[in-house]
Amino acid sequence: MVKVISGGLYTTIQDLGRYGYRKYGVPLGGVMDSYSSRLANRLVGNNRTEAVMEITYIGPVLRFDIATEIAITGAGFSPTLNNIEIPLNTRIQIPEGSILKFGLPGYGQRAYLSVAGGFKTEYIMGSYSYHRGITLKPSIDTGDQLSIATYTNGQSEVTASVKIRRSYFTSSVIEAFKGPEFNSLSELFQQQLLNSVGVILPESNRMAYLLKGYETLSAKEIITAPVQPGTVQLMPSGRCAVLMRDAQTTGGYARVLQLTEKAINLLAQKRAGEEVQFKLL
Amino acid sequence: MKEPPIWQKFGEHVLLATWNTGIDEKVNAEVLRYSNFIHQNFSKEIIEIVPAYCSLAVYLHESVVAKQFLEELRDTRFETTKTASEQRYIVSVPVCYKSDFAPDIATIASANDLSVSEVISFHTKPLYKVFFIGFLPGFPYLGGLDKRLHTPRKKTPQRYVEKGSVGIGGGQTGIYTLDSPGGWNILGRSPLRFFSSELEPPSLLLAGDYVKFFSVSKKEFIKIEAQIENGTYKIKKEVYNG
Repeated sequence: MVKVISGGLYTTIQDLGRYGYRKYGVPLGGVMDSYSSRLANRLVGNNRTEAVMEITYIGPVLRFDIATEIAITGAGFSPTLNNIEIPLNTRIQIPEGSILKFGLPGYGQRAYLSVAGGFKTEYIMGSYSYHRGITLKPSIDTGDQLSIATYTNGQSEVTASVKIRRSYFTSSVIEAFKGPEFNSLSELFQQQLLNSVGVILPESNRMAYLLKGYETLSAKEIITAPVQPGTVQLMPSGRCAVLMRDAQTTGGYARVLQLTEKAINLLAQKRAGEEVQFKLL
Repeated sequence: MKEPPIWQKFGEHVLLATWNTGIDEKVNAEVLRYSNFIHQNFSKEIIEIVPAYCSLAVYLHESVVAKQFLEELRDTRFETTKTASEQRYIVSVPVCYKSDFAPDIATIASANDLSVSEVISFHTKPLYKVFFIGFLPGFPYLGGLDKRLHTPRKKTPQRYVEKGSVGIGGGQTGIYTLDSPGGWNILGRSPLRFFSSELEPPSLLLAGDYVKFFSVSKKEFIKIEAQIENGTYKIKKEVYNG
């Protein structure tokens, strides 16, 4: 069991998402940055489908009531174990009773905490991913108790650690394919969409990132049609939204671009105020 | 088939089929038939399909090459056999149109020069087709709203619409299946549970079903709510033989 001493800003349990339920209007959900979460799982010897903890900007304080192994990946937090600094992107032994803190990130904004065997919280419709209205809780609160897999010693003989390129967090290039309505834009608007610099607005969240900087553009609404994580919607007013993992399954705004999986991961690490530019593949 | 859809890639492992026809019950029936056809013939290649009014998205497994999949799809005869799970139903949905549950019914009435009782009578008359489920878990996009009830959305969406609320947004009517922000004018509330994550399927209404609203008093609403709570309410569902 992991006891949550402090919940942090927006901490959730996530896996790769809830597949097979989108026709019932259930958002896919899942880790915002699938690259970092996959790494976290790999470091402790987990399957990529195991549930991890997603930590957003202000980390939680956790007490481990049983011994296990963990890894922390993603944003540049300065975690401590029993007040001693521990490295990121490294497998770490956790003795029973340890207290894990995160501090604030120096770069990026989402970290992933994996535990050996994965988190075993509420499993619903094929997924551990927290989602408002689907799981009992939308996010982790102070006082919660989280089940984790029973730890069996043995995987921990070898030290596992990796280096991550800093450009993963600093690059402003967001690669995308043409969306279904890209060709309905005038040539001028197509160019402006690709040449403008977008600024991430503070309202951005797991459902969508809102971007400023496209106000001179406009696109007609469409008949409500499927959308997915990574869909870039342009509204008649020039408002621009990049749908993220908790996006609705259908939408009525023009789908002008579709981000690559890698671009969704990169964007998930960007904070309000940071700049991005779309690049067509 | 009558009009084949236009296929295009929609990101790395997703195909999108679009019928360029607008909102139309016949076209939507074709979308749903196509969805069944792909489910029946390509269950190994696909993760899931999301149908909408006149388009559908096919989510492919990462190992499937989209171009090859499309070729195979074109080479397969478009045929569907109705299986039991695709049987569609007419679901009777109780709605209390009384003012506590219907904050905007007067707005709908005055916008269309109608009395409140006319609004209720026009709203309970049609057999609404569930075109697809979207927006919220279990939220049905319903076709068939009487033109005399069309009412523009609110200029500013409301932060909180209670679950079960039945609303009108432009030419559409639907049910807020979970508490949610929303911009539609609310004319009543249903005590039914439209989405239950512990049930399979979790959505009470499915694409292709039909909805018939019937008016209940506040007293009946409370009674049905209690019956649902203790599991004794029986939802009226008839097989649709259209």
